[in-house]
Amino acid sequence: MRKTTYLLPVLVIVAAAALSSVFIVDEREKALVLQFGRVVTVKEDPGLAFKIPLIQEVVKYDDRILSREVGPLEVTPLDDRRLVVDAFARYRIADVKQFRQAVGTGGIELAERRLDNILRSQTREVLGSVRSDSVLSADRVSLMNQIRDAAISEARGLGLDVVDVRLKRTDLPQANLEATFARMRAEREREAADEIARGDEAAQRVRAQADRTVVELVSDANRQSEIIRGEADARRNAIFADAFGADPEFFEFYRSLNAYRAALGGDNSSMVMSPDSEFFNYLKSDTGRP
Amino acid sequence: MAGNSGGPWGGGGNQGGGNRGNNGDGRRPPEGGEGPQIPDIDELMKKGQDQLRVLMGGRGGGGGKSGGGGPRGGGGGPALTRGTVGIGVLVAAGLWALASFYSVKPEEQSVELFLGKYSATGNPGLNFAPWPLVTAEVVPVTNEQTEDIPASSRSTDGLMLTGDENIVDIDFQVVWNISDPAQYLFNLRDPETTIRAVAESAMREIIAQSELAPILNRDRGIIADRLQELIQETLDTYNSGVNIVRINFDGADPPEPVKDAFREVQSASQERDRLQKQADAYANRVLAGARGEAAQVLEEAEGYRARVVNEAEGEASRFSAVLEEYQKAPDVTRKRLYLETMEEVLGGIDKVIIDQETSGQGVVPYLPLNELRKQGGN
Repeated sequence: MRKTTYLLPVLVIVAAAALSSVFIVDEREKALVLQFGRVVTVKEDPGLAFKIPLIQEVVKYDDRILSREVGPLEVTPLDDRRLVVDAFARYRIADVKQFRQAVGTGGIELAERRLDNILRSQTREVLGSVRSDSVLSADRVSLMNQIRDAAISEARGLGLDVVDVRLKRTDLPQANLEATFARMRAEREREAADEIARGDEAAQRVRAQADRTVVELVSDANRQSEIIRGEADARRNAIFADAFGADPEFFEFYRSLNAYRAALGGDNSSMVMSPDSEFFNYLKSDTGRP
Repeated sequence: MAGNSGGPWGGGGNQGGGNRGNNGDGRRPPEGGEGPQIPDIDELMKKGQDQLRVLMGGRGGGGGKSGGGGPRGGGGGPALTRGTVGIGVLVAAGLWALASFYSVKPEEQSVELFLGKYSATGNPGLNFAPWPLVTAEVVPVTNEQTEDIPASSRSTDGLMLTGDENIVDIDFQVVWNISDPAQYLFNLRDPETTIRAVAESAMREIIAQSELAPILNRDRGIIADRLQELIQETLDTYNSGVNIVRINFDGADPPEPVKDAFREVQSASQERDRLQKQADAYANRVLAGARGEAAQVLEEAEGYRARVVNEAEGEASRFSAVLEEYQKAPDVTRKRLYLETMEEVLGGIDKVIIDQETSGQGVVPYLPLNELRKQGGN
């Protein structure tokens, strides 16, 4: 009983010492073993690791890709048209030792502030060296890559590896925004007026063509009509000539009789005549003979 | 930050096993900063000791945590019988089993870490991760998650500058799930933010290279495809383990201040349409009228032709018939025709017969011809 009362605390202490001399680095982490503030070991791979209890301590850093956004900041491209830009960076802590040396115990927050400064100045510098319309074009990708490359070399001193820098907003400042809206409105108004004018033009053209076709159709019909009538008259003359030519003298007589009948018929004719006419041959004759 | 005992280890130890495998509480590894000054193992060990005490000291050890010596340190504890040991072992084994077995739902996968190092990916079903050597995290893999961009529809966040320096209001949705849970867990600290930022950046890049009109009108499908490609490419360079399922690109509108102007253009183009349709209607109407008129004129002419020819032929044949009869007896017929005609003509009209031989010339000047005509007219 006496033996165990001493043994147990000793066992506990030994177990505690053993446990506190191992530590686990997660897949998502990197660790530094510090001995009184001095970097002793860098533990980059996940798994089990060892340290001396009490003397050494472990500092862990995130090994995943971290994000940082800066902006909005105003940049002035070469053509003096200002743009509001914000950028975001993806980075990871590549060299924990250098990182620790660069930021000390300030940790990730200090590093973020430094990174912000780098991103700001690089974004300003790169976008300040081109015209604003190349920011709004296919060159944008290469501009982003320029910023990224510059940021990579600047951030290396911090032990950071910048994976990517991308521009998010590239907008106009508020004042220019209003002007742009006004310009867009004006363009739309022009477009609307243009639409109506074109509508009028097309309508007028269609009407004029229709009117012209009407005149053409009707006049052509009249022409054909006259031709037909002429043919008809000609045919009539031919028929008459053919028939009447058989005995012109009789025709004259016959036709005259018809004409008398047509001209003198009706109630509205009065006639003063002399009984000498042939018609009255028998009227005045006593003998009944002319 | 430093106070947060880092790593899944700390968490695992804390919970004593009851809850392991449940990742719903969003247990996350340390937030970047430096780890705790006292290593996790120390804490874990203390906790283990506590547990040991509870298990072994059982009933008697209720207040004995501060007793410092171990189960029998207080001296007054009950004797360690075979039964209590058995129960203790059983309970410990049960707790260990609870801590080590975990289930993965069909839409999930789990990532197992052996002493912090990635060891395996667990599939749906019952999985075994012997605590404390192996820890597991369950990740919803096939679940579709969405990111709305911009987050709030009322802000000006959706305004984007086009290549021709117009402004368009963009509104879209990124639907994603996890293609590789290990990469997803280990490579990105804040995947949602990253996806949002990448998506917005990609969209702005595309919009900045396009002109306004095609964005508004027809290129939405093309833009959505390019966007998906671009986001996926960028995320792949991060080894994010994220799969973009699709892009819901519904809204590409003119910004609010110029919306009215765009509507006016629409109504103007409808007006243009209307004007053209009206003109077409007019044209159709007058052309039909003209065709009708032309047809009428032609038909009238044909009618005239028929009438004139028929009349002529009729008259001619009548004359021919009369002539034929006349030639048989010319004198008689001639006389008869004359008389018949005269009879007809003179029968119907007023006549005054003046014999010049008997009544002389004097009468004629006094003849009231007008009176005669009036009477005749009556």
